[in-house]
Amino acid sequence: MGKKKKKRAQLPFRLNILFLFVFLLFSGLILQLGVVQILNGEEAQDEINRTENTISEIPVPRGKMFDRYGRLVLDNEPVRSITYTAPKNGAKAEDRLDLAKKLAGYIDIEDAEEKVSERDKQEYWYLLNEEDALEKLTDEEKEELDNGDQYNTMLERITEEELAEIEWNDDLLEVIAIKKELDAASELSPHIVKNEGVTEEEYAKVSEHLGELEGIDATIDWKRISAVEGTFSDIIGSVSSTERGIPKENEQYYLSRGYSPNDRVGISGLEEQYEAELKGTKEKVEYITDSSGKVVNTEVVTEGQRGNDLMLTIDMELQQAVDKIVREELKTAIEMHPSKNQYMSDALVVMMDPQTGEVLTMSGQHYDREEKEYRNQSYRTLYDAHRPGSAVKGATVLSGLDAGVINPGTVFNDRTIKIGQLEKSSYKDLGPVTDIQALQESSNVYMFHIAMRMAGEFNYHYGMKSMNFDPQSFTTMRNYFKQFGLGVETGIDYPYEATGYVGPDPQGGNLLDFAIGQYDTYTTMQLAQYVSTLANDGYRIRPRLVSEIRSPKPDRDELGSVVESFNTDVLNKIEMDDKYLDRVHEGFRRVITQGTAEGHGWGSLSEYKVAAKTGTAENEVYKDGKKLADTENLSLVGYAPYDEPEVAFAIIVPNNGTGNGQYDINHKIGTRIIKKYFELKENRDKDGVNKELKQSKEGKEEVED
Amino acid sequence: MNSNNNSTIDYTLIFIVLLLGIVSCFTLYSVQPYLGSEAQDNYFIKQIAWYIAGGIVVGGIMWIDYDRFRHISWYLYGAGMVTLLMLFFRFPPQIIHTANNATSWFIFPGIGTIQPAEFFKVFLIIALAQVMVSHNEKFKTRTNKSDLWLIAKIAAVSLPPMGLIAVQPDLGGFLVLAAIVACMVLVSGIRWRVLLAVSLLGLMLIAAVIGLSVMFPDTVGTTLEESVFKHVESRFYGWLDPEKYAESGYQLKKAMLAIGSGQLTGKGLQDFEVDVPERQTDMIFTAIAEQFGFVGASIVITLLFLLIYRLIYIALQSNDEYGSFIITGLIGMFAFQIFQNIGMSVQLLPITGLPLPFLSYGGSSTLTYMIAIGLALNIRSRTKQYMFD
Repeated sequence: MGKKKKKRAQLPFRLNILFLFVFLLFSGLILQLGVVQILNGEEAQDEINRTENTISEIPVPRGKMFDRYGRLVLDNEPVRSITYTAPKNGAKAEDRLDLAKKLAGYIDIEDAEEKVSERDKQEYWYLLNEEDALEKLTDEEKEELDNGDQYNTMLERITEEELAEIEWNDDLLEVIAIKKELDAASELSPHIVKNEGVTEEEYAKVSEHLGELEGIDATIDWKRISAVEGTFSDIIGSVSSTERGIPKENEQYYLSRGYSPNDRVGISGLEEQYEAELKGTKEKVEYITDSSGKVVNTEVVTEGQRGNDLMLTIDMELQQAVDKIVREELKTAIEMHPSKNQYMSDALVVMMDPQTGEVLTMSGQHYDREEKEYRNQSYRTLYDAHRPGSAVKGATVLSGLDAGVINPGTVFNDRTIKIGQLEKSSYKDLGPVTDIQALQESSNVYMFHIAMRMAGEFNYHYGMKSMNFDPQSFTTMRNYFKQFGLGVETGIDYPYEATGYVGPDPQGGNLLDFAIGQYDTYTTMQLAQYVSTLANDGYRIRPRLVSEIRSPKPDRDELGSVVESFNTDVLNKIEMDDKYLDRVHEGFRRVITQGTAEGHGWGSLSEYKVAAKTGTAENEVYKDGKKLADTENLSLVGYAPYDEPEVAFAIIVPNNGTGNGQYDINHKIGTRIIKKYFELKENRDKDGVNKELKQSKEGKEEVED
Repeated sequence: MNSNNNSTIDYTLIFIVLLLGIVSCFTLYSVQPYLGSEAQDNYFIKQIAWYIAGGIVVGGIMWIDYDRFRHISWYLYGAGMVTLLMLFFRFPPQIIHTANNATSWFIFPGIGTIQPAEFFKVFLIIALAQVMVSHNEKFKTRTNKSDLWLIAKIAAVSLPPMGLIAVQPDLGGFLVLAAIVACMVLVSGIRWRVLLAVSLLGLMLIAAVIGLSVMFPDTVGTTLEESVFKHVESRFYGWLDPEKYAESGYQLKKAMLAIGSGQLTGKGLQDFEVDVPERQTDMIFTAIAEQFGFVGASIVITLLFLLIYRLIYIALQSNDEYGSFIITGLIGMFAFQIFQNIGMSVQLLPITGLPLPFLSYGGSSTLTYMIAIGLALNIRSRTKQYMFD
């Protein structure tokens, strides 16, 4: 009985212990609840209330470009686009799939089948069959592989049969194609889901249902559209795509200037040079997100504004005409002498206003021998440097006059010179010539005498063993040339320009070659600046492609007010007596009337009062260190009219075949472009500015007929 | 005394359960609009239906003298084991349902999912009570040997189902069974010294397994570790540092924000600011705490405590060992689940998938708790009769 009592007693006792224990546990719960709700409650509330403001930017159209007469050159085309902005920290894959399904109801995706890869299908299968997919992994793999590898392995192991269980109809493929775009979106930055061929109907449907399409927006994106298709496009440059965004190599530069990685920026040409003006002010929208990443409010912080417009200095009508002329002439030369001119591939022309430096035309025509195609490559006038030959003699004579080694009227006897083994002459012995005649007849020997005297050799006689050579003289002569823009940057408002090749070997013979344009190389733009400097009484002007920046006007054809106007920028004034310049002007004038250009078609253009200098430079063609052929660069620099120059031009056509019957392409181009220039001017004076520009596709068709 | 004689039904317990049922349905009603589009079911209506079904079950159980359970305890236990084995062997595959990586359900078209582990909790309690009562009847005098023999019998009955539930894997279910066994062993009459020795031994064994798996992770890379430990590990880390282990700590972080921001008096009806996953089931406590604050949450905890208190009262009043043992098992089940469920939402314990008894939505669980209440009422109602012995 006593034992039974004890047994009876232990049960309540132990139950009481259990009760005490439960009581303690529940007290613990309430205590902890007090800590969480009362002590730390406010903190939790603060965390919920904490919102984050993120500013997102919406692209605006870039500035347009107009030519010098206000004709539209480059425009923007609105492209309706459907964008997706992922929430902060991204959305779940399931949510994106849901969204894609909804969106597929409103928009069509073309070629969805091509856009959906095998992997996309596998990912879709995985979303539907996550559990089955997990079973494809061995236990070891689950342990050893990281999440990404596990995922990839699972996808790889999805069999054809399993994929075949799903009916891949067009509707589903569209959903997957849309989801793919949604997947690619980065947080809080609009990603384009569809922007090509969004119909007005699709746009309207999506706009109406924005409420149920979280993160989706219907916006307008902008596409560059040229009003003069193909013309000048390489100088105008290009803009990066949304996918490419800002150039990776200059990421920091752009990021520090407030760009976001997906921004479209000018990456070449004027688009790059004037990026700051063209880009405009992006519309800034502030997204306020709560702690869960949900957007609770959006607010427009800055109204966007289209980028400023550029007024180019280019006369687009002239540009188109010159492109056509240059291409026709290049084609003629190549087709006339297919063998002799087999190395000829380029013809380059720059025309500018010598008074202001405004570039009127930059035309580069290139014949692609592999594709057998002519191309507009205006950039070659800035990028490619060639030996111009005698065209530089104006600079040589002025150097000589200024250095005092010759005087106006100094006469040298033009006959072959011989120093040691070196024999050099003009194209023929010209006899005694003055400085003016030396330019008129393009005397090499006259230039050699100047060079020798510059080098310190005043006592040249035929057959002398060696000449005095002051190594400094190379620098001195180059410095004179640089005053004209030869061998230095022209300062053009373009992201890149070449300055030419500088001969590495300063010795007597090379100095003589230098004096006749046979040593260093120059770009067409440098030659244009050089001749402009001569025409402009010694003022070297910075060439300009853009004359004004205008504020945007909503109306398509109207020009806005001037934001900035670029004045003529004098880089330097040649420190020489004006009477020396007059000698050169006279020489250049005579080149046309009675000198080396005579008989090349200039006679009928006398009313335009052209002054010019021809050039022929020997230019061997090498391939892999082996000389293939002797060719000649034909050049022509000049200006008109000589009493009041308003247009200067530089022409260079490298690698002409030598010998009899050489096609005088430099003169052919020269006469035609000058004629065209004045023709257009007369038409403008008579009928006003021709507002309509031709649409030309690479100018191809016009050449072919 | 006479009036007491007739009051064979414990209205206090019924009242407490009724209050909890109202709190549950009301809370489900309040969260229903905030569950998002994936919640197709109307939990509030369905929970009412489960409570009604549960009420009928309670009536049914009250009908039978609970002593009868002694006779059928092994049949129930056996049936439960069969269902667990079916899950283990995934047979028949058509009705096996896996969710969140755990194979814990049967699925029947039209009815829904059934979780055998829920019902097994009650079956185990009945079976263990039977084991302990028969043992105590047989061995009137307690010796070390007889105590150890009882422990061995209890282990033999409880370890197989625990193992089967652990490998599903269902850590919560496993722990509930463990809590039941622990509580019942405590009151079984086994003497302290034996209890102490056995629990020390058990602790050492657990320590040894953990130690070995830490020292030789490859060799101890058994199924056990694969299915259970890894699962436990991630929950554990998520609990320690919810910010760092975002995946496993996500739910905890949300729960803490919801509960914390409820502060003293709550935000008011349906003023939810935090989107807590599983708010209708395991995380229902967060919905109460966010809406009604510390005051409301404490009232609910107190209500749950009163439930336990009432059960202990019934166990104490019962002059029948068998009844007391069953009630103790039920106490273990309820107390552990309540403590674990609320504890995990306030970062007192790691996250484990366990419903909050009577409050969380769930068919299997609600029915199980109603069966338990039926048993308790049954035991209570028969207690009075014995008082005249």
